[in-house]
This record gives sequence, C-alpha cells and structure tokens, in this order.
Amino acid sequence: MSEDLPELVKHPTTRQLVQYAGASGDFYEIHYDQEFARGTGLPGVILHGLLKTAWLAQLVTDWCGPEARLKTLDVTYRGLDFPGRPYRCRGSLKSRGNGTVELEIWGEDPDGSRTTIGTAMVEGLR
Amino acid sequence: MEAGHIRRFCEAIGDPNPRWRQEAPPTFLVALGTETPEIPEVLEYGKGWLNGGDRFEYLEPVRAGDVITSRTVLKDVYEKQGSSGSLLFLVFDTEYTNQHGRPAARIRGTRIRR
Repeated sequence: MSEDLPELVKHPTTRQLVQYAGASGDFYEIHYDQEFARGTGLPGVILHGLLKTAWLAQLVTDWCGPEARLKTLDVTYRGLDFPGRPYRCRGSLKSRGNGTVELEIWGEDPDGSRTTIGTAMVEGLR
Repeated sequence: MEAGHIRRFCEAIGDPNPRWRQEAPPTFLVALGTETPEIPEVLEYGKGWLNGGDRFEYLEPVRAGDVITSRTVLKDVYEKQGSSGSLLFLVFDTEYTNQHGRPAARIRGTRIRR
C-alpha cells in the first residue's frame, strides 16, 4: 500500500533566507550573516529549520488538495542545509483509516541525507 | 492576522497555493511571536542556537482578520552529550487561541544551545 507523494524541490538562496527572516520575524544572524555564522562554529549561513518545515507542509498540502485538513505536522531537524544547494521534499503514505491518513515526510540534501524527518496527519481526503 | 503579512510569508516560503489567500499556511503562526524568549542563564550556555524540532497541532483554521492570542510556556529543559560537546535542550509549548476563545493551534518547539 506504499504510495509516494510527488516530490517538491526547492532552490534556496541567501535572498530567500533574508525574505523569510523578514516575513517570519526570525532575525537570528546565522541565517544571513556569514561571519556571524562562522563565529558560532557553523561552516556558513544555514537555512531556517522552520523554512524547511514550511516546504514539507507545502509538499503535503499540494498533495492533499484544498478540502483536506492538516491535523498534525511533526518534524525533527537532524542536519544543516545551506543556500545554493537544492532541497528535495519527499513523502510517502504510512497508513490510512477512519478518514485520516498518516504520512512520512522528509527533506533531503543533494547527498541524499535526510536532514529533516517527520510525520503529518491529514483529515478529510476525498 | 493581516492578509498582507500572510501574503509576504507565502512569497518568502515560495508557496503560491491560492488556498493561502485567506487561510494562513500551516507554519505561519510562528511568524506572530518572538522565536525564543531571552533567558540570560540560557544565553551563557554555548555559542549559539540550533532548532531541534517543531510539532504543530491544528484545531481550527486560522484566517486573515482573526485575532490570535498566544501563550508560551517553557515546558522542559535537559542536557545531552553531543558528538562535539554538551547541548542544552529547551522545549517550548505555545497555544494559540482565536477571538472566539477557542484553541486554534498548538506548537511544541525544541530549541538547542550548543
């Protein structure tokens, strides 16, 4: 009963990180100031975890359509991701029952590492 | 909840779904409040923050024009040994209540000092 969601590939840039900082209100400098990021021991500026979650949510809502409702979205960040590197959002159906589906979702870096993993519950699929 | 703010958020994440012209996209609520409260003792720990995870629970749709009140509590604090030193985990629970007095969403965020 394995079903895969159509994948969503994002191409993050430093511009997008600044745009997300402004729209989300998360102005932590590790997301747009290279020197600051290196000063905290990072190799450079990194993506906001919550930006990756927004993409995983988009993966799910693109797939489930406008009538369905997202009930839960649960993610764990396991690795760093960087602007200039494509980010692949993927998912598969885990279980289905009582009008609810459970999805396994994850984001992959270009090396195939699952740097964000999680689950989503969706209700009201037609 | 301002329509213009929702639109800018959708542009920033790159999600053109017309559903989000009125309804807020799933992670929008994080944009309503400050990310992590400033706790001096915590800021003395390590060199910086990392995000450990986020769990969203949705109870009612949130739309432009709604008035949302949020309340955050620091639920848990614990230390772990990582590969490059010790890490401090802080777990924040936020509940979002709408203008009808009903809970609309809950978010559990795990933030790490390293």
